[in-house]
Amino acid sequence: MSRHNSIFEGVDFGTVLLYVLIVLAGWLSITSASFDEDTADIFSFSHFYMKQFVWIGMAWVTALVVLLLDERFYHMFAYPAYIGGILLLVAALLFGREVNGAKAWFEFGSFRVQPVEFAKIATALALARVMSTYSFSINRPGNLVKVAMVICIPLGIIVLQNDTGSGIVLCSFLFVLYREGLNKWLCIPVLLIAALFIISFLLSPMTLLLISIVVCTLSEAMMNGEWKSRIIYLASLALSSILLCIVVNFVSPGAMSLYHSLLTVTLLSLVVVVIYAFRSTLNNIFIILGLFIGTMVFLPTTDYIFNSILKPHQQNRILSFLGIINDPLGTDYNVNQSKIAIGSGGWLGKGFLQGTQIKYGFVPERHTDFIFCTPCEEWGFVGAMVVLSLLCMLILRLMRMGERQEEPFGRIYCYCVAAILLFHVLVNVGMTIGLMPVMGIPLPFMSYGGSSLIAFTILLFIAIRLDASTRQFSLNRI
Amino acid sequence: MIDNSEGYGRMRTLQCVVLLIFAMIVGRLIYLQLIDEHYKTLAKTNALRSVVQYPSRGEVYDRNGEYLVQSRVCYDLMVVYREIDKQGFDTTRLCAITGVTKSRLKRELTNARMRPRAPRLVASYISTEDKLRLDECSFPGFYTVYRTMREYPRKIGGNLLGYVGEVNADMLKRYPDYRAGDYVGMSGVERSYESLLKGVKGVKIQEIDTHGAIKGAYMEGRFDSLPESGRYLKTTIDARLQLLGEELMRGKIGAAVAIEPSTGEILMMVSSPSYDPDELLGRNRGNHYMELLRNRRNPLFNRAVKAKYPPGSTFKVVQGLIGLQEGVLRPSDIHPCNMGYHVGRHKMACHAHASPLDLRYAVSTSCNAYFCYVFRDILDNKKYDSVKEGFDVWRDYVESFGFGRKLGSDFLDEGSGYVPTSEFYDRRYRGAWNSVTVLSLSIGQGELGCTPLQLANLACILANRGYYYIPHIVKEIEGRDSIDRRFYERHYTKVDPKHFEPIVEGMWRGVHVDGTSRRARLEGWNVCGKTGTAQNPHGRDHSTFMSFAPKDNPKIAISVYVENGGFGATIALPIASLLEEYYLTDTIRRPEMVDWVKNMNIYYPNK
Repeated sequence: MSRHNSIFEGVDFGTVLLYVLIVLAGWLSITSASFDEDTADIFSFSHFYMKQFVWIGMAWVTALVVLLLDERFYHMFAYPAYIGGILLLVAALLFGREVNGAKAWFEFGSFRVQPVEFAKIATALALARVMSTYSFSINRPGNLVKVAMVICIPLGIIVLQNDTGSGIVLCSFLFVLYREGLNKWLCIPVLLIAALFIISFLLSPMTLLLISIVVCTLSEAMMNGEWKSRIIYLASLALSSILLCIVVNFVSPGAMSLYHSLLTVTLLSLVVVVIYAFRSTLNNIFIILGLFIGTMVFLPTTDYIFNSILKPHQQNRILSFLGIINDPLGTDYNVNQSKIAIGSGGWLGKGFLQGTQIKYGFVPERHTDFIFCTPCEEWGFVGAMVVLSLLCMLILRLMRMGERQEEPFGRIYCYCVAAILLFHVLVNVGMTIGLMPVMGIPLPFMSYGGSSLIAFTILLFIAIRLDASTRQFSLNRI
Repeated sequence: MIDNSEGYGRMRTLQCVVLLIFAMIVGRLIYLQLIDEHYKTLAKTNALRSVVQYPSRGEVYDRNGEYLVQSRVCYDLMVVYREIDKQGFDTTRLCAITGVTKSRLKRELTNARMRPRAPRLVASYISTEDKLRLDECSFPGFYTVYRTMREYPRKIGGNLLGYVGEVNADMLKRYPDYRAGDYVGMSGVERSYESLLKGVKGVKIQEIDTHGAIKGAYMEGRFDSLPESGRYLKTTIDARLQLLGEELMRGKIGAAVAIEPSTGEILMMVSSPSYDPDELLGRNRGNHYMELLRNRRNPLFNRAVKAKYPPGSTFKVVQGLIGLQEGVLRPSDIHPCNMGYHVGRHKMACHAHASPLDLRYAVSTSCNAYFCYVFRDILDNKKYDSVKEGFDVWRDYVESFGFGRKLGSDFLDEGSGYVPTSEFYDRRYRGAWNSVTVLSLSIGQGELGCTPLQLANLACILANRGYYYIPHIVKEIEGRDSIDRRFYERHYTKVDPKHFEPIVEGMWRGVHVDGTSRRARLEGWNVCGKTGTAQNPHGRDHSTFMSFAPKDNPKIAISVYVENGGFGATIALPIASLLEEYYLTDTIRRPEMVDWVKNMNIYYPNK
């Protein structure tokens, strides 16, 4: 029996090696970022790099524990873990400590834990469990609602904690849903609406309405392959709204703008669409309709959400990212400094501990959120490429690991991990190079911080554990 | 479930997505690190210095547009330790120009060494001339920052205007918008209207080369912002009246407040002793401040809004009004006064005057006995079950006149005075008390405590026959149509306006016919007034006077309170009368009275 063999049997050592390399690269970066040549005692535990050293040790112990547990354990405890995660989030919301405006932390002495890190793992497990149920089909509206609930409950609590940045990470599960067969014509409008939300300040309501009508109708046409009637629908919408506008303005000038008439006609036409959907039994029309109505409710309230849910500093980040405001000493300045640090690295960088921008404190949060600046400045483009390829290889490898799973549970979980990592890398690295607005989420395995490192380690090693058992099984079968 | 071939296709798509995202990041990195040389040059010169651009603080005018507070240009000398010339520099010369002592410079440099890249303040209040000389010499690492300091052209209104000081650690914790080194209003108007006066700070980001010379604005000034000056304030103060008030009050401890009854605007507010506001400025501010703090007469205490004084006989008018409203007193009611009020062993002494007497005469001659009757009638009213209930009713009335609570003026440190409650007496006498026990309240003695502002407000209520506007100090704010809305509301007392006439009549007679206030008479004006002589356990009686003029359509209501000044008519009355005369006629026809008041120095044995 394989059970009696070493716990390392079947473990994908390639992945483990990638993990170790990334963690070490992170540790080197933290060392350069926090090294102070004036200090006499370089091994003192007051330094970030020495603390991180301890955290890395603890993370590896945790990884061993994760590997020791039976893989069925993760399947069994997916729901309890999910409920536990939600309770933790609620507890943080009620009793937690506020850091940088987000009430999302527990504090034990000088040690702080962000439950959201662990909630991500729990959500990934629960999602894998829900979606691996027998006869589950993602494109059935009922199942889709279930999946949406699994994702949206923790998301809602995290947003209430004012930790929007971490909350958005859960949206990356769209990646997983797509792999599991979510209709791509549903993914595209979802992504588009997310994008619309960010740039909605720049567009007029009329443009927003037009874009959402056209996109929703066309994606529905793509889904059902019915082109002619949808084009006719769009044309009749346009014609009748223009007509309505002219007629109303003829009767009483200035009473109705084109926007209002289009809105009226669209809302009236929804009734027709619903009747049509019932009669033609095209269920996915309802999904698109729900999406459209959601957008209609959502977009006009964007201003409200923007002003009430997002904290001023978050608003400033988005606004400065979009070039609407220039904040001289705030976010914009930080990103600029980080760009200078990265840009000054050149091909080969300035060498270990030689980065002037980082060391002299021009880059803010240089050992946590802006850790990516350090390899870029000290090791140059080459160093950045090494770090990025390690991360990219890890993500691709996780996807491959997912593909070779026999159980959907393992596959979905691996994809969840890949999606979370990808999102973190995209947002964190994107923010340091000015591609993304500044959101305070860490770079996986590299940013300073014990709770984030341990949480990511658990996340990754559960995937490795699930994969190991599959391979044990197949190895023994041969 | 989806079939394997479709799943495989989707995996391929997702792999493409991942690679695309990484390709995007790599593309951006290629641009940043390999193509764009801009960032490399920036990094070389990336010694950036963000220089805070301080706004000039808003100026303060009096009601006629005269400057009360001006802003004057001065400079702060800053140092960035890392940028100091390593070969050393001419310290003697630097000290000579800036007037900093060598030891202090040394101390500041030692401190600056702790954080070598952070700008640190070395000296403040450097004049423009010195700044120009400093610029000529060019000391690397040192630079100046534009600031403004306050200047008081008329040297009046110390406590009223308040002073400006550097923000302290406690405030920094409570108001995160402030940074160390910011100036902030500490008291008076400066504190109340801090948010308007302070303006908005700007910032200038400069690129500095290795020699500490400014090379220019960072990114063509894209991140710079201009400071926004503070708003100017037009106060309700009449500077000339304020000046006269301060001169008259010199040498006495007390306060004088004048209000325009038709608006609630404070025309004058003197707290004596005062201080020269210019003393709390500049480099010697700390020393002067400590001196003022040690002064036993406590000049930093704004008596006009904070001190609790027994109102004395001025309070009798309130007693009369409550009696009239409660129906226990009619203007024609006659009470005897036999050199005082006798009940059992208690005796409330009074001075010699005709007896028996009616309400008008009782007000004008300030009869103690009469108001003892009135007060006991209010408390022992058969309408109420107990004296306690009667007392509570009485207290409600008193509070409606603005006593025992903050009026809500724009002085943040306004005191509330004190009016005892029935619970207070229950505790003190263990429940065994009656209207005789608390009889001293009838003539404004006992536990009563009123601020001079409340007394001036009482004069306003009488002038307006029943209502007041919350006293306030600001008339106009730059860029605003109006001041706070609460200053436009009429506040009525619980006494019906129709009851005010006999009391006002009594106050008029006190000045013009047969009362205690005859010296307050002004040729051609109908003045109403009420003297007060408040006994006090620590020494001579306090002298107080409350007045308004003219009787119809009053223009000024005033209250003067002089500690240990003797009879109300002795010193408080002449001060009030002179101030009224000056405000109403713009001249003073009694120069001998001015001299007399100015030369009168009251001796305070303990101060």
